[in-house]
Amino acid sequence: MQFIYVRIEPTLYKMRGDEGLKSHVLIVGSGGAGVRAALEAAKYGDVIITSKSIPGKGGCTPMAEGGYNAVLRSQDSCVLHSEDTFRGGAYLNDPALVEVLVRESPDRLNDLVRWGAVFDFTEEDTVAQRSFGGQRFPRTCYAGDRTGHEVMMTLLEQLRTSDVQVLSEVTVISLLAEENRVTGAYALTRDGNPVTIRADSTVLATGGGSQIYDISTNSATGTGDGYALGYRAGAELIDMEMVQFHPTGAVYPYDARGRLITEAVRGEGGILTNARGERFMERYDPERMELSTRDVVARAIATEVLEGRGTARGGVYLDVTHLPARQIEEKLPVMLEQFLRFGVDIRSEPMEVAPTAHHFMGGLRITPDCTTTVPGLFACGEAAGGLHGANRLGGNALAETQVFGKRAGESAGKSRKRTDSLPRKAIAVQEERLSAYRSGIENPVKIRRDLRLAMWEGAGIFRTAPELETTLEKVDALAARPLKAYAVSTLAECCTVENMCLVASLVVRSALLRTESRGAHVRTDIKQPWDAATSPFGHTYMSVKRAGIERSGCADAAD
Amino acid sequence: MPQIKVKIYRFDPSKDTEGTLREYTVDVADGARVLHVLHAVHEQDPDLAYRYCCGTGQCGSCALQVNGVPVLACFHEATDGMVLRPLNLPVQKDLVVDMGPALASIASLVPGPGRDLPRKREIDAIKPLRSCIECLACVSICPAMEVAEFTGPTAMRQEMRLALDPRDTRDRIPQAIQEGLFTCTTCQYCWKVCPKDIQIPGKAIEKLRAIANRQGLTLPRHQEIAQIIRETGRSVPRTQPTFLEQVGGTIEPYGEVKATVGFFVGCMYNLRLPRTALDALEVLRRNGVRLIIPPEQICCGSPLIRTGQVAAIPEIQEKNIRAFVSRGVDTVLTMCAGCGSTLKNDYRTPFRVVDINELLCSIGIEMPDILPVRAAYHDPCHLLRGQGIRDQPRQILGTVVNEVVELPVKCCGAGGGTRSGMPQVSHALAGKKAEEISKTGVDVVVTSCPFCEFHIREHSDRPVQNITSILLEGYRAKDARCSKEN
Repeated sequence: MQFIYVRIEPTLYKMRGDEGLKSHVLIVGSGGAGVRAALEAAKYGDVIITSKSIPGKGGCTPMAEGGYNAVLRSQDSCVLHSEDTFRGGAYLNDPALVEVLVRESPDRLNDLVRWGAVFDFTEEDTVAQRSFGGQRFPRTCYAGDRTGHEVMMTLLEQLRTSDVQVLSEVTVISLLAEENRVTGAYALTRDGNPVTIRADSTVLATGGGSQIYDISTNSATGTGDGYALGYRAGAELIDMEMVQFHPTGAVYPYDARGRLITEAVRGEGGILTNARGERFMERYDPERMELSTRDVVARAIATEVLEGRGTARGGVYLDVTHLPARQIEEKLPVMLEQFLRFGVDIRSEPMEVAPTAHHFMGGLRITPDCTTTVPGLFACGEAAGGLHGANRLGGNALAETQVFGKRAGESAGKSRKRTDSLPRKAIAVQEERLSAYRSGIENPVKIRRDLRLAMWEGAGIFRTAPELETTLEKVDALAARPLKAYAVSTLAECCTVENMCLVASLVVRSALLRTESRGAHVRTDIKQPWDAATSPFGHTYMSVKRAGIERSGCADAAD
Repeated sequence: MPQIKVKIYRFDPSKDTEGTLREYTVDVADGARVLHVLHAVHEQDPDLAYRYCCGTGQCGSCALQVNGVPVLACFHEATDGMVLRPLNLPVQKDLVVDMGPALASIASLVPGPGRDLPRKREIDAIKPLRSCIECLACVSICPAMEVAEFTGPTAMRQEMRLALDPRDTRDRIPQAIQEGLFTCTTCQYCWKVCPKDIQIPGKAIEKLRAIANRQGLTLPRHQEIAQIIRETGRSVPRTQPTFLEQVGGTIEPYGEVKATVGFFVGCMYNLRLPRTALDALEVLRRNGVRLIIPPEQICCGSPLIRTGQVAAIPEIQEKNIRAFVSRGVDTVLTMCAGCGSTLKNDYRTPFRVVDINELLCSIGIEMPDILPVRAAYHDPCHLLRGQGIRDQPRQILGTVVNEVVELPVKCCGAGGGTRSGMPQVSHALAGKKAEEISKTGVDVVVTSCPFCEFHIREHSDRPVQNITSILLEGYRAKDARCSKEN
């Protein structure tokens, strides 16, 4: 049982015509979902997991602060969890996925606990739970405000003792497909050397794409690569317009704007006030107040700021100074530490917050077994769509990574072993793509910056058709610029920026298709006579072949 | 929009034989962090390699050295003129280091059937060791790792975290010992650079050693020290008349009383370097300090705590505290860095504890004559990091020598039971220290810890002096000059 921190020997990938690497299952992405999938898939055969970063460091799981939703107590029930999830998701959720989530989330939590996860415990020596927005029972398990980090460290320990082969700092730039079946991936190492990985089945666990927005909570790796990879390989995506703006992101310092201020701050009793000192949530959701769902709170804050009741830096105040210092130190240590670094002691001063792009509810269309619409390709975690509907409940994403990570790993692991040969044509296409970057002209850093600004301005919290049309033009124009790789080591960066442009266009096109306001998606140019529960619309869908919006309600599969 | 000049280490192993510093000038926003400067540089120079991910201090990807100190780039505020270098690990390119081997050495929990879940009490004990983001800042600066087979601070943190967890099926102690548990000098540098403030020496290393002790795995040399403390109350044998045999009761200053303090002398000064302690006494008297010296004080217990032999500690603490409390003392003075750190951090004393440098600077000292020497100051770990005392000894030294020369801040190897238990490690560190001293060409090395003083003296070709001894020399030079002038 030896942990292998694989360094690929140059001979493994350097030459064209080389057979590359081969495994039964390839997992792309090393966050909570990817590592959970890898651990499960390893029960069925050899597994390779690729990470753009270093496993445990990339993705958003280690940054997840608040918690993990699981029904653990007799006063709570799966029905209640499921109802909360539908209501929070504006009834756009895929019921089959919701059922799996609420049923299996406690088991997956138990896996983590068995593997050594150090969740906070109650005085009775059981896993503690706290209140989160939009839920009628305190069912969010937590480890202070570093819950995702705890989950990730626990998974990482198991990964290190597994036989999974880890490829760190290897960026998948394309899936390899033959006869409409995904047979592996083509990737670049940190130094820009190509590596092909063939696999009987491939799992996309690439996380979300909120980095396409100027203000985002996401880790640098949250560039939506899985959406782009899947789309190009022919897979269908759903609800890509559904981007959750987390209500509370930091506004200072400027370069760190968008940094997540966990919902646990409100869960612990934090209150929101505008620059006039008014507790404005009274006007938006007097019943649930600060613990309303994220879409509601984010719009409330954005409205306060737009109507001139925000702070000079364009935010509102989030205040915990009325809480005992000890509670802040114990339950919100990361928040305390981060703000202290930036000169604010949250025990005695309020935080300044504003909405920030946080989570993609949409993604690859999957079945409860995590199959996508393309054979050989699976998806789980934020890369997949449908579970959260139009708005995700806090605490459901970590649960999703574990429940569907395990399912994806199992499905991929059980898939048939194949003897595909190296898809040389597909490889040649990628080689051409890479060589084109040598003669490009645009600095990818600049394209990325312009894209993020365009998306924030034109496809943010409040949307209209004319603004979305303008944004689509801007995005298309940026996507058409030939990117320049200034060094071999920046080839992957060019591919990532291309992915971001594609994902942005999927978001905007989907946002145009959904001619209603629902959950996180708000079209201020449309007046609708229905509410979420009676909406005539289901998922938006988008693939290379077709795009549209389902008419028959949330439960139907397609058209 | 502030403009920032920055020097960045550049090294491409495919082209370069050694790294160079390259200077850049970039514009950043107010409050920008080092990472934002790197982003701005990357835009100018796309070939710059640096690692980052979450940008919020939670993933541990972006650790590097800013002006020689490991920090997280995403958290550390950028300053004009800063110098950025990679962590002290094998460099892959520019600021990117090979984290693989160090990460691979971090142990995993091995679950087994029928294991109990932890109780809240155990969870609460594990939590302070659990927030590690594996940034490897600690590994970058660990002195023991440079000279010994030691898997390093965070690997030890993890072994202790596992030792506390009933779900783990392994006995962590033999593994930890094999990985170098006893090579750590408890210099505390790992704790001080940890972005999550994890107190690895106190909460992991010493605790693992305590479990090792209960399993009978304490090093024989450490057991001998415990035995002599049991028998004599002191950690070193008597070879000459002790300080406490020569001085006792209340010592009045020469002039006006500026402060009254209890004096905790410590084993090294009492038994091995009584001359140095007498020098200090003289300096204190000249500066208006009245000293109350209880003869029944004993070893502070540091050698036992550092080596995990903690059974007798409550009794030792009680005895020492009573010695001073019974004399109505509200402030206790230490001149040994190790004793000071122990009284401040491992005791709950009903009195204030001050180090001699702290005291002298706070009351203001009589100016000595300046001696015609260049002196290097060596920071004792248990003074600098154990007590946060950096400037005061430099201030004092500045009054008495021509020039104070800085040394790289690094442990001399004397602490943590390493000198007795792992002499080869201790000697190797002192050898490196001696080299650094030779390079400076100074006349004398000055420090403020008896362990450092004794240990460096054994290895360096330069004389080593206690800070109060050199101050006293300055006073004597002044006295001689004055008597000549009169």
